[in-house]
Amino acid sequence: MPATPSDKFRPRQWPRAISPLVGAFVFVAPLLVLVAIWAIVVPVFHVNPRIFPSVGSVGRAALDSIMDGSLFMHVGASLLRVFVGTLIGIVTAVPLGIAMGISSGISAFLTPLLRFFSVLAGIAWIPIATLWFGYGAGAIIFVIFNAVFFIVAYNTLLGVTTIPHAVRNAAASLGAGRRAMLVEVLLPGALPNIVTGIRTGLGFAWRALIAAEMIATNVGLGYMLFVARDFYRTEVIVLGMIIIGLIWLLIDRLILVRLERSTIERWGMVRRS
Amino acid sequence: MSILLQGWSLYIRATHRWPGVAALIPFIPVVAVWAIIAESGLFPRVFFPGPVDVVHSFVSLTYKGILPDYLYDSLVRLAAGASIGMLLGIPLGIWIGTNRIAHRICWPVLLFFQAIGDIAWLPILLIWFGFGLSTMTFVIVYTVLFPIVLNTVLGVESVSRDLGRAARSLGASPARVLWEVTLPGALPNIITGLRNGLGYGWRALIAVEMIVGTSGIGFMMFDARRAGSVVEIMVGMIVLGLLWYIVDGWILAPIERATGRRWGLVTA
Amino acid sequence: MTTLQLRNLAKTYFDPYAGAHVNAVHDVSLDIEEGEFVAIVGPSGCGKTTILNMIAGFIPYTGGEILLNGKAIDGPGPERGVVFQSFALFPWKTVLDNVGFGPKMRGVPKAERDRIAHEYLALAGLSHAAHRYPGELSGGMQQRVGVVRALANNPSVLLMDEPFASVDAQTRMTLQEELTRIWQERRPTVIFITHDVPEAVFLANRVVVLSKGRVLDQVGIDLPRPRVWDDLIEDDDFKRLSAEVLQMVRSA
Repeated sequence: MPATPSDKFRPRQWPRAISPLVGAFVFVAPLLVLVAIWAIVVPVFHVNPRIFPSVGSVGRAALDSIMDGSLFMHVGASLLRVFVGTLIGIVTAVPLGIAMGISSGISAFLTPLLRFFSVLAGIAWIPIATLWFGYGAGAIIFVIFNAVFFIVAYNTLLGVTTIPHAVRNAAASLGAGRRAMLVEVLLPGALPNIVTGIRTGLGFAWRALIAAEMIATNVGLGYMLFVARDFYRTEVIVLGMIIIGLIWLLIDRLILVRLERSTIERWGMVRRS
Repeated sequence: MSILLQGWSLYIRATHRWPGVAALIPFIPVVAVWAIIAESGLFPRVFFPGPVDVVHSFVSLTYKGILPDYLYDSLVRLAAGASIGMLLGIPLGIWIGTNRIAHRICWPVLLFFQAIGDIAWLPILLIWFGFGLSTMTFVIVYTVLFPIVLNTVLGVESVSRDLGRAARSLGASPARVLWEVTLPGALPNIITGLRNGLGYGWRALIAVEMIVGTSGIGFMMFDARRAGSVVEIMVGMIVLGLLWYIVDGWILAPIERATGRRWGLVTA
Repeated sequence: MTTLQLRNLAKTYFDPYAGAHVNAVHDVSLDIEEGEFVAIVGPSGCGKTTILNMIAGFIPYTGGEILLNGKAIDGPGPERGVVFQSFALFPWKTVLDNVGFGPKMRGVPKAERDRIAHEYLALAGLSHAAHRYPGELSGGMQQRVGVVRALANNPSVLLMDEPFASVDAQTRMTLQEELTRIWQERRPTVIFITHDVPEAVFLANRVVVLSKGRVLDQVGIDLPRPRVWDDLIEDDDFKRLSAEVLQMVRSA
């Protein structure tokens, strides 16, 4: 029996093209509300600019630092260090992790070691890094590399060892040679864990970067924040904080989470926060 | 050949009986290699001390009471920060997890502030509170809060709708459902959140102690750096690593696994 | 004496994917007597689970009324016990504590509610499992706990939402026989949702056939009790009734 026409009626519908924009807006809206509250509270309560800056002063600081190029210099330095350190970290850790994972005996032996070092990865290496490499980019890149390397290696190892034996056996009995096993089985099978490792490692690395830049260098976002403190330039500090937040939000949510979802969820593995 | 097999069998049986052994054995060759590199003089001894030097330093620092004091300070700060973080974070997480509107409003705000990260708050905190305990506590609470809240929300969302309905149809009021079903149901995820939170938390602690502190392991490492004493830095790093390795590996992770298994959930 | 009355019950909701309002249930009227075992069958999407959820109080109804013992229902409550397809046992509580949950909510002290729980576990033949956790039990055992957990609360009506759909065929037959045995002993009023026609005919004394949100027809099942699969599977009356109901469902 077909439904009678009075049973259904069509309400207003969003055109399909606008949906992602609507989603983005819903996300950004509460933050904009926060900015609005900020813009109102500071002037109304006569908040001392040495305690907290007004929206306007932060905006002006942003424009100034863009105009004189200092913002690009600091942001660029930070991003460059993260990029280099992360790249070297991933490129060395993934092959190592896979190589270690091939034999279950070796991986069982090495897992506690890697766990220990990944536990220590990142910030804890700052003092020793500055002693070994002196102040500057070298030490910072080392700290970032360190954070990414150990965590990615550990997760890669974990990923390879959790590939079910049945899958590896199936590949072997279907004629997979060494190279094929690596490329077709081990790498894709470990990929979800690798991606999770990259996301976690990068998270630690970004934090360690800011801390390291406060101590060990004279250019970069951490440095920009720390030196502004000496002059009570709260508008530069807040500007820096917002930029740090935005950069990480973009990297994490737009790139890393997408990557994680497209590997883990597509392949039906567990979702984690 | 059979001696090797016997040795291997001994190793397997020993690690089966005392799993801790399996965790420690791999470090022996590492320490050995370390000692060899240090002895060989490949790097100046000042920059790359050997394990023996580190042990010496460890003993002397403990004897002088410096290490235990600093360790105590650090642990107390971490425990205080973590406790406050849990007290704030778990209820907040439950509220956001159960309330659609709260979720819509708070979620982006949480993500953004988590992205800023704890360390970036340091300069403005120093202006507000100076170089004291409040600054350090704030940073640790801030750091610990986000993993706890986010994982609690995840936990609350993962409790099957049928469980809540079953409780209601057995006469539970909404408040009781929260206490009898939602909270226990979310517990495995809450523990994961606590574990992650502590992981980020102790790192934040070390960073803060390096930049701001007057005591604690982080301060000790930073101070040793100024004095150029790599040995003490290494002592600090190893103590930290061992401590977290033990707490996380032998206390937190098993608890997480045990609740996960009992609740019948998959934890990765 | 009618325990439960559905009067012109209707449910309409907005489906965002279809971009339209959907009538899940239209004008369903049903009277259920105390001690009856009523099975509701129908093809997928006919609205039977929606009706059950409305009676249970999990979702609101948009038209008509639901009266229990003369009073309109208001949200979920212990007088309408529910058995879920997913079992919905609390994994962190023992079997005993699960069964004692309803009495606990009523404020019954521990000793008394343990006694009640033991009594009902004995009814289901599960006394030995009292201190186990749901995760340690098989699907069939878990659902038996689910059934007695709801019964231990002495509900006016027991609502069962395809409770045996998640277990294997053999266990299902055992559970069906267990259910009729328990029902004969305790005589609760039962509303049983299923898409399995022989199951409905086996269990119920009245089968309601639903189609596209409306009641199509009802069939009285007067097969003698106790009902056992070995006997009924070859019984002519059983086969005739099953065929009759099946025909109604398939023509819907």
